[in-house]
Amino acid sequence: MKRKNCKGAIEISFSWLFAIIAGIAIIFAAFYLSSKFISIGEKSTSVQTGKELQILFNPLETSFQSSQTTSITVPSETRINNNCEDSEPFGRQGIQIDQKNFNKWSNTNVNVWTNNRYIFSMKQVEGKKFYIFSKQFNFPFKVADLIFLTSENQNYCFKDAPQEIIDDISPLEQENIFFENCPIKSINVCFETEQCDVNVNYLRGYVKKGEDFLYFAGVNGDATPLMYAAIFSDKEVYECQIKRLSMRLKELSSLYFQKENLLLKEGCEDNLQVSLYNLNKLEIQNSQEFSFLQNQIDLIYENNNFRKCNLW
Amino acid sequence: MVIKTNYKFSLKKACLKNSSNFIKKDKLGQIKIQQMIFMILAVGFLFMLVGLIFLSMTLKDIKGSAAELSEKNSMLLVSKLSNSPEFSCGNAFSTSRSNCIDFDKLIVLRENIEKYSNFWGVAKIELRKIYPSSDVECQKGNYPECGIIHVLDKQVDILPYSSVFVSLCRKESNEYGIYDKCELARLMIASEDKK
Repeated sequence: MKRKNCKGAIEISFSWLFAIIAGIAIIFAAFYLSSKFISIGEKSTSVQTGKELQILFNPLETSFQSSQTTSITVPSETRINNNCEDSEPFGRQGIQIDQKNFNKWSNTNVNVWTNNRYIFSMKQVEGKKFYIFSKQFNFPFKVADLIFLTSENQNYCFKDAPQEIIDDISPLEQENIFFENCPIKSINVCFETEQCDVNVNYLRGYVKKGEDFLYFAGVNGDATPLMYAAIFSDKEVYECQIKRLSMRLKELSSLYFQKENLLLKEGCEDNLQVSLYNLNKLEIQNSQEFSFLQNQIDLIYENNNFRKCNLW
Repeated sequence: MVIKTNYKFSLKKACLKNSSNFIKKDKLGQIKIQQMIFMILAVGFLFMLVGLIFLSMTLKDIKGSAAELSEKNSMLLVSKLSNSPEFSCGNAFSTSRSNCIDFDKLIVLRENIEKYSNFWGVAKIELRKIYPSSDVECQKGNYPECGIIHVLDKQVDILPYSSVFVSLCRKESNEYGIYDKCELARLMIASEDKK
């Protein structure tokens, strides 16, 4: 290899030089491409799982029944990140999936967005089995179906729950909600005291979580859909979804306002024009403002029931 | 000293000989460098080609599953769309019914569809009266004497339609008063074909 008697000259055969350069290039290219393909593969799996999850939420749309339930089991440990945006006209619901591969969480940062879903959960839900139930939210007409998402890793212990809540949730047979014999490390949900992780004041219409207050309301004395929403989700998700619900409420009130106009020619009355117009002009910023609508909504509900031809 | 000079001379000669060998080897080296460059390029192209084939196969696979998911979404959505508050009859027609669409609400929705264009994530929503059938397209002016209502049409390439039979109800009146009129219709939706 070393040239005899000629100082400073090193001779490396071309085949060696080629092998070294090409080898380095090939190894680098292989590393780069394989890391890119793994990252693309992870993103693709995440998007596919997210999309499939969104599709699975379709059958949860309720008609005359008030609630529906289902569960989803995924092959590997999964994190569902609930991302909510309250942009006009209806806001967006994003789902971002991270999965555990070789004991390491993928971080895809890719959201699957939809406009017609309202998922109430913690910002991040982790597990292999997820429980989902939906409930129709009427205010005063049907506004949407609320979807509540929890995982097998998180148990909820409902203490001193009113009988109507027990009757409402028990038939769903959701394995992570307990009314008695609660497992340790459960999230305690109290209805009478204020010493638990989640404290519900059903009469005054709020859920207290630490320092956070999440307000809820309903129509005709039934505020359970938003109450569950407040129990199962954190403040950020809850407030954003409430804003999105108020956006849809506005659009629906405009739809019913115009329907009432259309029905005038058939001889129907127009007793809801002003209230629906006012509802359409509302700008709701948070759950507390939303809960203030309770009386107004109850009045609209009553007025619709007294009509010759109901609007909804 | 002489020996030293001779040694120097013979060394110089040897180096000169080596230099001429060098020149010969330089040419050979240049050829080999060119050969190496060509080989590197060829190997690079081979890798690119393999990568492109793999990428196109992966993309085709992703596009295939995207189309499959969109169709699946349409199929599941169509069966539940009639329960969506923008479509559903609710309790407006005596009792609560499943798969019932409020025609009065739908005609109003059609006039205000811009805001809803991305709401359901589909490209087309269409409703056709089956009985009594009619080919007249519904506008606010000819309502309810019509048979086809294009609720949403994004004017894009679409995947095959998914459809479901529904009751299409509205309020009507005659000399005896206001009554509910329900007809048979077919709700059709299609997702965008993103190819």
